[in-house]
Amino acid sequence: MRRQSEPNGSRRAGPYAVLMHDAWAWLRRHPWETDVALAGAILLLSLGQTTADPLIGVVSLALAATVLARRKYPVEAFAVAVAVAATQVVYGLSPGGGYLIGAWQPTVADIVLAVLLYTVAANTAPRTSVACLAVCIALSAIAIERWGPANSRHPLDSILAAAALLGSVSLTAWVVGESIAYRHRAASYASLEARAAQLEAERDAQARIAAAAERARELEVRRARAVDQSAARLRRIERDLHDGAQVRLAALAMTLGEIKENLESAADLAGDGGRTQRLISAAHRNAKETLAELRDLARGIHPPVLDHGIGPALDSLAETSAVPVGLALDVKHRPSPAIEAIAYFCAAELLANVAKHAGASKAEISVTSDRDRFGMTVSDDGLGRARLSPEGGLEGLLERVQTVDGQLTIDSPAGGPTRITVSLPGHA
Amino acid sequence: MNRNDEPGPLRVVIAEDAAIMRDGLTQTLTRRGHQVVAAVADGDSLLRAVAQLQPNVAIIDVRMPPTHRDEGLQAAHAIKRDHPGVGVLVFSQYIETRSATELLAGARGGVGYLLKDRVADVGDFIEAISQVAHGGTVLDPEVVKQLLTASRRADALSSLTPREREVLSLIAQGRSNTAIAETLVISPGVVEKHVASIFAKLGLLPSDSDNRRVIAAMKYLQS
Repeated sequence: MRRQSEPNGSRRAGPYAVLMHDAWAWLRRHPWETDVALAGAILLLSLGQTTADPLIGVVSLALAATVLARRKYPVEAFAVAVAVAATQVVYGLSPGGGYLIGAWQPTVADIVLAVLLYTVAANTAPRTSVACLAVCIALSAIAIERWGPANSRHPLDSILAAAALLGSVSLTAWVVGESIAYRHRAASYASLEARAAQLEAERDAQARIAAAAERARELEVRRARAVDQSAARLRRIERDLHDGAQVRLAALAMTLGEIKENLESAADLAGDGGRTQRLISAAHRNAKETLAELRDLARGIHPPVLDHGIGPALDSLAETSAVPVGLALDVKHRPSPAIEAIAYFCAAELLANVAKHAGASKAEISVTSDRDRFGMTVSDDGLGRARLSPEGGLEGLLERVQTVDGQLTIDSPAGGPTRITVSLPGHA
Repeated sequence: MNRNDEPGPLRVVIAEDAAIMRDGLTQTLTRRGHQVVAAVADGDSLLRAVAQLQPNVAIIDVRMPPTHRDEGLQAAHAIKRDHPGVGVLVFSQYIETRSATELLAGARGGVGYLLKDRVADVGDFIEAISQVAHGGTVLDPEVVKQLLTASRRADALSSLTPREREVLSLIAQGRSNTAIAETLVISPGVVEKHVASIFAKLGLLPSDSDNRRVIAAMKYLQS
């Protein structure tokens, strides 16, 4: 499986390696079966010794059984095996040769100590496994010291050889177990490092999201302030026009009107063929036209009727609409002036569209306004097919609505009816 | 126009917060022999002046201090309620059809509503003041145009000839038959015929009073 994930396939395994790999994989997948087989094999090997005393079989069985517990309770299983082995060393061997108590003679089953030492080394902290290794070596030394001299003419050589043999078995088991543990630890460190890196990345991402959210909030506040300020500024401009330019121009037009009338009544005295009179008439006409233009301009900047609230403003729109307009107002909370202005201009444009394009016999404006939301629907019974198009009136409305995160939805199937809904926040 | 027929000088109160306009109106009226008995800049002063001086007519700007909304309109309603004999001419920078029709419908004559621009045509404006002072009714042509545009009686109105629509518009502006004849340069007899035809087509009762005629036309267009 691993090889498939290596793109270059640099290590090509032979059939033997594949077989071993599969065997180990099977063993890893079946721990219980493996341990039962292992315990069974150990027990079988020790059965040869039971001819001396059937009770040897019982002790061997106990030793073999510890293998079954090794995965779940490695240290405890090791302790039990050590206890049994120690008993064997103390009671099974006689310092003078032979056995003190036959049933406790050491058997092949004592090999479980190596298995359990391996298990402890592989699964527990190095400190524990080193202690267990020391126990094994000490036990081996005691066993050989008690047993060795009886069977040798050169006791010291035999003891050293046996100690080296038994000790190396323990050491090998421990080293193999430690190497497994090391691999596990290395793998676990690697995964911990990966996890730590992932957590750090997540924390960074969250910090960036939080910063972005904070920035968005800040921008929203600033935009709301800008929208409100701009609405207030427009209102001020309109008032300045009203109190300043419009009044002065009206006064100027009045004066020109007076001069014109005076000239008319004294036409014969002017003596320039009526030239002055014509000039004054033109100036008078210009002044009046400018007044009308200025009035439209000021009304476009800020419709004064909005000062009374969105209700009366829509009422006034409905009254001057060429198509009859029904008005349903449910204003629980008056929106901010900027929102009212957007709503008003939307309603004005939509009603103008109804009159111009819809071929409708009647229209309806319904408004619901509470603290958070201002909703307005303009519907008509016309021909439908109202569409957003670049440069179109609806596109302009959409832009206006979007300046405060509002929505404009158009439902206008061919053949009608048309429903256009404007949804705005209560405040910009 | 029959401005030469109007007897005597008028006693006028002006309420307008812009000094240049206030002074201009005062001079214009004074030059024509009328008497501006008070020129004030806000609604409260206006009500006091009217109560004290009982003028023939009050010329009132809609937007005045302190709120710059519709102080003038409120004051106009108050004057018509407390001093029905005083003529009230409201003039506004903008046309609010509803304000105009409410003002006219609430009074029995002696009331007018004009766009501020109309001061440019001094003669017509003075004539309107005089008309209101003598109990007449004056409605700005722009208001009449909006009433005609927004009228729900489009079907009935479409049965009028273009000339009849012109005459109806002038009726709604408060013009007398004589004035209409002068404006359209036709004889008073022809005007009368047009008026009779209009009233028959629209199902309105003929009225001798120009005031009642205006209100009838206005209400018809609004209904």
